[in-house]
Amino acid sequence: MSETTLAAQPGTGSASAWAVARRRFGRDPVALVSLTVVVAMVLAASLGPSLWTFSHTDITPDLSQPPSAAHPFGTDTLGHDMLALVLRGLRQSLAIAFMVALPATLLGVAGGVVAGFRGGLVDNLIMRLVDLILTIPSMALASFLGSRLRGVGISTFTLSMVLAALLWTSMARLVRGISLSIRQELYIDAAILMGASHPRIMARHVLPNVLDQVIVSITLLVGTAVLSESGLSFLGFGIRPPDTSLGLLVSNAKDSAMTRPWTFYFPGLAIIVFVLAINFLGESLRRALNPHRVTNDHLDRRRRRPRADRLQPRPSRLQPRPSRRRPGAGAAAAVPVDRSTAVGVEAAEAVLADPPPLLEIDQLSVEFPAERVRAVDQLSLRLAPGEVVALVGESGSGKTMTVSAVVGLLPVGARLSGRVRFQGRDLTALDYDQWRAIRGSQISIILQDPMTSLNPVLTVFRHFHETMQALSEGRVAEAEVRQRAVELMRAVGITRAEDRLHQYPHELSGGMRQRVVIALAIVSRPQLIIADEPTTALDVTVQARVLDSLDQARASVGAAMVFITHDLALVAGLVDRVLVMKDGRLVEAAPVDDIFARPQHPYTQTLLSKVPRLRAGTAEPAVDHD
Amino acid sequence: MVRSIGLRVVNSLLVLLASSVLIFSLVSLAGDPLAELRQQDPPVSPAVIEAEEHRLGLDLPLPQRYLHWIAGVVGGDFGQSVSPSLDIGAELGDRVVVTLRLVVLAMAVAVVLAVGAGLVSGLRQNRWPDLSLTFASFVLLSLPSFWLAVLLKQGGIWINQATGYRVFFTVGFESVPPVGGFWAHGLDLAGHLILPTIVLVLVHLASWTRYQRAATIRALEADHVKYAILRGLPRSRVMRSHVIRPSLIPLITIVGLEMPGLFSGAIITETVFQWNGMGALLLDALRRSDVNVVLGWLLVSASAVVGFNLLTDILYRVIDPRMRRADHV
Repeated sequence: MSETTLAAQPGTGSASAWAVARRRFGRDPVALVSLTVVVAMVLAASLGPSLWTFSHTDITPDLSQPPSAAHPFGTDTLGHDMLALVLRGLRQSLAIAFMVALPATLLGVAGGVVAGFRGGLVDNLIMRLVDLILTIPSMALASFLGSRLRGVGISTFTLSMVLAALLWTSMARLVRGISLSIRQELYIDAAILMGASHPRIMARHVLPNVLDQVIVSITLLVGTAVLSESGLSFLGFGIRPPDTSLGLLVSNAKDSAMTRPWTFYFPGLAIIVFVLAINFLGESLRRALNPHRVTNDHLDRRRRRPRADRLQPRPSRLQPRPSRRRPGAGAAAAVPVDRSTAVGVEAAEAVLADPPPLLEIDQLSVEFPAERVRAVDQLSLRLAPGEVVALVGESGSGKTMTVSAVVGLLPVGARLSGRVRFQGRDLTALDYDQWRAIRGSQISIILQDPMTSLNPVLTVFRHFHETMQALSEGRVAEAEVRQRAVELMRAVGITRAEDRLHQYPHELSGGMRQRVVIALAIVSRPQLIIADEPTTALDVTVQARVLDSLDQARASVGAAMVFITHDLALVAGLVDRVLVMKDGRLVEAAPVDDIFARPQHPYTQTLLSKVPRLRAGTAEPAVDHD
Repeated sequence: MVRSIGLRVVNSLLVLLASSVLIFSLVSLAGDPLAELRQQDPPVSPAVIEAEEHRLGLDLPLPQRYLHWIAGVVGGDFGQSVSPSLDIGAELGDRVVVTLRLVVLAMAVAVVLAVGAGLVSGLRQNRWPDLSLTFASFVLLSLPSFWLAVLLKQGGIWINQATGYRVFFTVGFESVPPVGGFWAHGLDLAGHLILPTIVLVLVHLASWTRYQRAATIRALEADHVKYAILRGLPRSRVMRSHVIRPSLIPLITIVGLEMPGLFSGAIITETVFQWNGMGALLLDALRRSDVNVVLGWLLVSASAVVGFNLLTDILYRVIDPRMRRADHV
């Protein structure tokens, strides 16, 4: 297990990661525009005052002139050129912003890394200091310090230090959080074991991993610093006359905003445009460094399948369908399988196929055109009423995508082709309300992790209540819910069911939670239960018992079941038939006894060879089973 | 539950105590309140300076001064002001009511709007409602509160002049002289609140909207939403109980954390609208180097911040059952 963690150590491919981020940044129009504006304003602030005809101290004979060719931003009541004033103000504001951002970043990153990495008392001290600083309104304290430092002459430097001392806290919080999670990584333990000193580990392993987030935060910090400085100057506790800053200019113009709007709008717009540009720059950097992930919104109305997919040509029903054979089954694959001679598999399938199939999947493919990935490739299968099959394969083999397609919850961006029929009804292109007649009432699903599938803010009772309410036309009485829920919970082996009804999911053990989910699955007496690795998230010791409960619950309502797992041994006593998937294809389908006795496909054989190890648990690979 | 709330209260008091030490040290070390007196020309006699030092308690060592000050504060005595007639405690009491009215109203309005906008943005991610709200949030985030306040005030004055009626109140928190009668007075106060509240709301709306948007997206992706859909729940029910309800919880903490920001914003807003609130009190005290008023001011605002954090903490525990578990352990 250590190889994977070591291999996942970030920083190894960081050079290419930065290159990718730079390319992504270069393709983002918002990034380019905001970067251009920021650079242009920084240039104007640093070079402008010396290039422009007037200086901010020059007094011209033009008093209170609106913008003109000579004075593009107009003049104020004393005859100062507004452009010269704005350039000077911008220069002061930016100088302070950068002088705030630099020490605040250094302090914040150092404090955050040390707090997150060392933990314990050091962490406590630093974070309590941060909390304390956060109890004081920064504007008030900065005004106070600004007014007190008047005696020694408030310089841009002292003002910057005051603001930096107040603004490093958000950076420290952010960096501490990331460092704390990095600290848990195994490669940090490895580095410590190898004798690397703590400062060295922090510099070599922790710092590079917080760098991207820090860069984004710096842009926010610069924006905040500009706003804070101009606010302080506006109040009269920042930069003072005869020097000027953007905040001071707005303050001077506060009574003439309507009569001489140019004195009010130009300095204000300078602040707004700069802060806006730097905020957008930060947002684009964030997007470039952490690629935008498409949200998997299960309620997205667009996830309904485009009708065009259904019109795709599909093989005629008269042609022999390739899926009816066992694809690539060793030597047998060379000879077309003759249904009358292939005893085991085909006979079993023929028998089971006799009643009309409950679920019929025909040439199902799931593709992600954006990523050029085919998750499920022309999969066909039939499921008889009451039949229990295992869908086996390693992660990424397309098991979950297959059942997601069946229940209509493919991720946004997936393209589906082929046909899915349930009780003869086509399940393609149903809308939400049509699905409601099937999901939860005729098909029940059990997800992998019961901790996350139950809503943490609802009690067990509420889960039963809303499930039963959804199945019923009228209002469901609470007493009725209570009675049925307790019955169902007892049936799946939950002790003290009445008490547990009023508990929240986090108050139950993992096994109990999954039993609740199983009980919820049989509320509607469904025809089909889909269990997606229902015991994988559970402790090995309770897996078998939960599996028993599931089997009993299923049998009690007579439902068919598709059991998804990567563990062949787990399903040996549970299922009638095993379907083996690899790379989105069904590679072998056979009754369970045949799979164990005569695995045909090499991949099935590999899976079987792993059985003892998997069964004994990954921690003790050497233990034999049985 | 009760025990855990009790622990939180004790914890808050400790934070407040530490905060008072920090405030006192910073203010005392930052400068000498009698600097101007000492530098006066012609020089003031040493006896006068000594008497003034004694009156303000400046002749004692710092820890003793702190103990003296904090003991007084607990008993309701905030010490002597530079202007002898000012009762700091009573003044702070009057002013904090004025400011809290603005801050709490602005907070409530901003929370309601942010939740609405954040939910719309999160649920219509990357479509036009989200894109326009996102752009609007970025613009609002970049607006200096003082500029916005001046703009609204001057706009209000302009509308008043243009219409010839007093549509907006632009000066003070109440009319001078005060309007008589309970309802008339209440209406008068509400009228004066309109423009300053809009400023504070707009300034804080953006970051809370962004936060609510992120929380909504996280909630949408949760497994229990998928599971709720798979159980056949109606869309409205999934939305209400499984998306919106869990998404509201994180905002509570953020709102608590932003209280100091609201106070800072209130100082600026009050200055522009010439309110006789905490903002004006602080600025006056700073101009007169009135150390004890500044100390009292910082302590009162720290108490308000700590108090609101305590409140949101308790609210968080009441709303999120996962937090209640901590009580059993």
